[in-house]
Amino acid sequence: MRRDRKQGERQFEQLKAAWLAEIEAGRLQEALDLIAKGVELAESRGDVRQTDAAICARASITIHLGQGEQEVPKLREILLRSSDVGNARLASYHLSIYYQFVENYKKSLFYARLALDRSKLVGRQDWLASSHNQLGNALLGENYIDLAFTEYEHSLSLMPPDAKVWRSSILNNLGYCHLLQGHFAEGFRMLCESLRLARRAGNEVYQILPHLDLAYAHLERNRFRDARRHATAALALAERNGERYAIRNALYLLGETANLDRDEGSAWDYFSRLHSEFYPEFKGLPQFLMAVDVRKLVNLHA
Amino acid sequence: MPSILFPENVRQVHLVGRKIRELRKERRLTQVELSTRLGIQQSDLSRMEKGEYRVSLDTLFKILAEFKMGIGEFFEAGVQESPGERAARVVQDFNTLSTDAQREVQEFIAFKRGQSIERLREERLEES
Repeated sequence: MRRDRKQGERQFEQLKAAWLAEIEAGRLQEALDLIAKGVELAESRGDVRQTDAAICARASITIHLGQGEQEVPKLREILLRSSDVGNARLASYHLSIYYQFVENYKKSLFYARLALDRSKLVGRQDWLASSHNQLGNALLGENYIDLAFTEYEHSLSLMPPDAKVWRSSILNNLGYCHLLQGHFAEGFRMLCESLRLARRAGNEVYQILPHLDLAYAHLERNRFRDARRHATAALALAERNGERYAIRNALYLLGETANLDRDEGSAWDYFSRLHSEFYPEFKGLPQFLMAVDVRKLVNLHA
Repeated sequence: MPSILFPENVRQVHLVGRKIRELRKERRLTQVELSTRLGIQQSDLSRMEKGEYRVSLDTLFKILAEFKMGIGEFFEAGVQESPGERAARVVQDFNTLSTDAQREVQEFIAFKRGQSIERLREERLEES
């Protein structure tokens, strides 16, 4: 019986390693399939700890895919019930991400702080790093750019050097903060490094944000050709990977670039597509964006 | 460089935050009431009206859609001006532009007229 339990635990850990690899590679449906097997295995063995771990993993993907609402009650339950600090940490961390996606940054900040506290108890360096990064995301959402910057710096200093995708993401966040603070040289350097790391990791999804932020950075410097190149690349990647928020932002940046470059026809086309695909209820959106420069009002990471 | 067709005084960014505040007050809404309708924090709306807060595109357009206004109405809300006065002002402004700029304005007018014609044509096709 002990041998069966050990075998079951080993099987679960193998499944877990496999789904983590799929997530890292951006193959989310494959990861979900493996997680489903993990949940089934853990539940059949009555292993609450492993069941909770698998549910947290599933939530991480469904939240990213915009289907996170159904996971929230389960995550809250795990956070309140679980005696396993690691699972409580995962639950609070993913709740923070969910609230970030629905733009409730106060709640996102609350859960990010809980996740950081539990990461300190567990003592895992990568968890500390990702918690600081998430704290930065919540602070950036609240427009506390300097505080977010500090968290991102802390996160980068803790993230293991071989965690390419993570380091790419944190560098991207730092780069964007630099842009908002007007430090363009540093911003460009970090965003280019972020893109390089994501490419080296072979992860298309993590290349999207650096492209978008580089487009924004070039636009701020009136380098329209470079802005267009990066926004076009971001749009292609976003469309290929079904990242709707990125398609939206890419269309906006392409329209704004064309507008500032006096290509009103192209600007109109991009803004019209943004209107029809994302905001059909907003009467006069293309005209509005042709007339009003909203760059300083918009947080592309929100 | 801002588009010559939309001079800088129209493309001011902080105008949007200030305009939102004006429209909110015209509708006798408090920040709490409007922020509740929009599903955002009152403090965030306050900072946005001051131009101190960046939001997502989703939130920005949600706020603007709340007022159910088109672009012309957004900028001319509260300004009572007869068509004749408006045309006179446009001609006055036009005359202050350089020759190149005047040519660009004429090209833009032609472009907009082309769009109107295209829209009318499509509407007639739909009706038939």
